[in-house]
Amino acid sequence: MRIKLLNLSFIITTIVMLTACTKERNIDEAGNLVPKTVEQDVSLPSIAVNGTQLHAEAFGHPDSALLIILHGGPGSDYRYLLNCKAFASQGYRVVFYDQRGSGLSRRHPKDSYSLQLMYDDLSAVITHYRTSPNQKVFLLGHSWGAMLATAYINQYPTRINGVVLAEPGGFVWQDVLDYIKHSRSIKLTSELLNDMLYMDQFFSGRVSEHAILDYKYALLGVADGNKDNSTGDEGRSLGWRPGAIVNNALFDIGDRDKPDWTKNLFQYTTKVLFVYSEKNKAYGLAHAKKVSAAYANVQLLKINGAGHNMISFPTGWNNFYPTALTYLNSLK
Amino acid sequence: MMFKTIILAVFVVISVNSYSQTINWARLQKTDKHILNLNAGLDYSLTAGLGYGYQLKTKIPIIINVEYSMPFGENLIDDNKTKLGIILQFAKAGNFLFTGKVQGIFRRNENDFVRMVNIGSDMSVTAGYYKKKWFVAGEAGFDKAIVTHFKHTKFYKEVFPNVQDGWYEPSTGGNFYYGLQSGISFKRSDISLRIGKVLTQDFTTTPGLPFYIQLGYTVKLRAKK
Repeated sequence: MRIKLLNLSFIITTIVMLTACTKERNIDEAGNLVPKTVEQDVSLPSIAVNGTQLHAEAFGHPDSALLIILHGGPGSDYRYLLNCKAFASQGYRVVFYDQRGSGLSRRHPKDSYSLQLMYDDLSAVITHYRTSPNQKVFLLGHSWGAMLATAYINQYPTRINGVVLAEPGGFVWQDVLDYIKHSRSIKLTSELLNDMLYMDQFFSGRVSEHAILDYKYALLGVADGNKDNSTGDEGRSLGWRPGAIVNNALFDIGDRDKPDWTKNLFQYTTKVLFVYSEKNKAYGLAHAKKVSAAYANVQLLKINGAGHNMISFPTGWNNFYPTALTYLNSLK
Repeated sequence: MMFKTIILAVFVVISVNSYSQTINWARLQKTDKHILNLNAGLDYSLTAGLGYGYQLKTKIPIIINVEYSMPFGENLIDDNKTKLGIILQFAKAGNFLFTGKVQGIFRRNENDFVRMVNIGSDMSVTAGYYKKKWFVAGEAGFDKAIVTHFKHTKFYKEVFPNVQDGWYEPSTGGNFYYGLQSGISFKRSDISLRIGKVLTQDFTTTPGLPFYIQLGYTVKLRAKK
């Protein structure tokens, strides 16, 4: 018995010593659990605008009509929308950027964010890529990106020559809350609930520890394409690195200010292409009609065979792209 | 003996989680050697747990306890938590009793992105008013994630190919919790309810589920004289 105990203690000591010899990794160090941002990795494509550094890329001829791609979240990144590069071969200058605090763009303190700052960033991106005052500017926004596009048009109704909106939660705060409530309802006994919540006892981060909080937010992506998720996606879309703080900050601002981005939309008479997906049970025709009614001139399109991330996957993209291209060409 | 074995086996098979065993200390006898606890509630998810305590022959009540818990879900083996430690009553003033708990934790969490294994600790104090038939107490504790091992899946490596698997230290986090526990007692049993709030260690962020609720049943088995 004594020999067995000695053997056991030897094995335990060996394991502890071997473990102690491994390289120490810090959970808050970018590059360990999440990729580095543009300020930490100079090899990434970026632009310096409006007091920040944004991860950004553009495709197509610089003088072609600008098509600015606005990702969702807030806090996601443009990786899942890269199918939109296809517009570059059709005579568009396609601009992708990770919004402030999102993706691989620079991180900022939570209290620095405002909606106006997000509009100013978009203005700065347009200015950066525009080669002449006559160059037309189109926006293509998905989810939160479609909300941002609308908020921008509401703020500056004459600046944008056309817009494609894919399943924005809403343009008034209550519609946003209603959509969130439906899209995030998860069964209490489901595996998905464990996958999203149980990790909170394994690691935690301060509001200034972006790498930890972004990693946690990335793990919440397990909900994408899950059978217990109502948004109906056919799989998980790829992102680089979400921005937890910008997501949290903008949601808090929305909750505090209860914005209404519809007040000036009557001035925007250009036709809007508004798309929603067949398989997103939290959205549907009724919500699409309600939200899109804020615009005077709307072309409503259902994307068959797709869920919320309709632009990311083949079925949704193949049903979305031809109509979106026809719409944009009609305004070019 | 056979009956006790069956009870124990049933508890193990039901395989239930726990945040801690909740005991009516006023009713605990020196002869109550074995303390079994079943519980269910919200503890970072919807969970169920099983606990076993062994009361030592000491002047002040000291219980060595082990707890096992796991969340509900289709996959019952990918997430779980085991705690091992001691609970002791360190002060008494009339019906007011003060207890402390120190436990080591081994826990596991797996999803489609990563498998995490963590070694942690849980320390808490409870102060309450205990009568033979009921009790009410306040509790506060700190659950520390000391070191965590991350092993990422193929999918996450597609998201971030350079992700670093391995042990992460120093501490990967910790959460404070505080709340109330109360219960009623009859014969050798206690039925208890715990409810409280969870905060991350820096008090600036909250977990996805920022509270806990636990309904528990505890039974004490006496040693043969």
